Amino acid sequence: MKTAVQPHTGYWPYNDQTQMDRQIPRYPRSFTRVPAHPLTERPLTLTELTGPAGIENRLGVEALDLSHAAPEEPRALGQLILVSGRVMDEDGSPIAGAVIEIWQANSCGKYIHELDRFDAPLDPNFTGQGRLITDFEGRYQFLSVKPGAYPVIESGWWWRPPHIHFSIFGPSWMNRYVTQIFFPGEPLNQIDVLLNGVKDEEARQTLIFEAPPPEMGDVQRIPFHRDFVLRGKRATPELP
Amino acid sequence: MNPSVYCTIGPFFPAEFSDGCSDLTRNNGKVARGEHILLSGRVLEEGGKPTVNTIVEIWQPDANGIFRHALDPRCGQADPGFFGWGRARTDADGWYRFRTVLPGSYEWEGNMRCPHLNMMVLAIGLTRRLVTTAFFPEDPTNASDLVLDSVSDLAMRARLIAKRDPSADAAGAAGYRFDLILRGAEETPFFVD
Repeated sequence: MKTAVQPHTGYWPYNDQTQMDRQIPRYPRSFTRVPAHPLTERPLTLTELTGPAGIENRLGVEALDLSHAAPEEPRALGQLILVSGRVMDEDGSPIAGAVIEIWQANSCGKYIHELDRFDAPLDPNFTGQGRLITDFEGRYQFLSVKPGAYPVIESGWWWRPPHIHFSIFGPSWMNRYVTQIFFPGEPLNQIDVLLNGVKDEEARQTLIFEAPPPEMGDVQRIPFHRDFVLRGKRATPELP
Repeated sequence: MNPSVYCTIGPFFPAEFSDGCSDLTRNNGKVARGEHILLSGRVLEEGGKPTVNTIVEIWQPDANGIFRHALDPRCGQADPGFFGWGRARTDADGWYRFRTVLPGSYEWEGNMRCPHLNMMVLAIGLTRRLVTTAFFPEDPTNASDLVLDSVSDLAMRARLIAKRDPSADAAGAAGYRFDLILRGAEETPFFVD
């Protein structure tokens, strides 16, 4: 049987200097959950280099519009936003077919989740969750409303700034990626322990949406933009 | 370019995103070949306390050791009844549960990878995912697996091997127990990511 030679992708460990700290003061669970023992180095084999490609067929994806709970229903309360960007690898090549899961609070800062004890109201026209897939140029976009801030109730002091959660399935187990993206200019950004857990200024800025000016005449929605770089480089071919 | 910055999954990952994802034994209306197993365990933090709504994802080959992925040269022979990915969330006592197949072994660069499945943990308090690999008891090839061997401390290495748990057997599937102890005594070994 003929077996096609597949392009090989190389992976290197995340650089701790350009990532969020693993343990952050005033984020108590990071001190009870991050392993005390050093992480073990191990070789990468087929189990790591492969991954759930085609997962859209199992989970389902849609042209995502979170600004309505259902197409014929009224629009959710809040400021309408259009979020877009590209998913690419470390070489800047687009990653087509990346599946992105999105979840966020409503405009009052309330999630539809049994563990959310904030007393802000739910919005019957807002679910705040959905799944989409990047196009052949690695692009994604969805409509939503701007999430509100909310308190971390157990902390007694910590208010989370508005943010949207992203969970991305790239082509392999190695580039499975989860993050939160913040909005520019929010006063609460200054005190958020997670956002400020990224010491490198340039890296921290990549957790904040860019806010391009709205297109002339478009008074419907405010655009926000964020590109993602998933781990992986096309490896240099080895000499025979 | 640097890879994007990871951040914690937080407390409110939607239940709808994990519901229905913990049974790997069906795909496209077909039943997976091989021995079906129930893999369950608790995700515990320091002091042996349970973690709630922790997300555990797994990735594994089918019963013949084949991945449904273009990089596997045997991909064309992958079991059509098996996809290989699953997700579960922990309950109030920290339990996760998967129904899957006992993975097959495969050859990698002249070495055998013995039966195993990869696991990742996402939770409050973890700004990055934690990755590890679960192996199965009684497999003779455990003695020479590349990844298992990389854990040099024998007591820690033993924690990467799931335990057969007949009390968890159900509906024709053998029970296995694999706890994920994030920190503290009996801590699970996790790998550089």
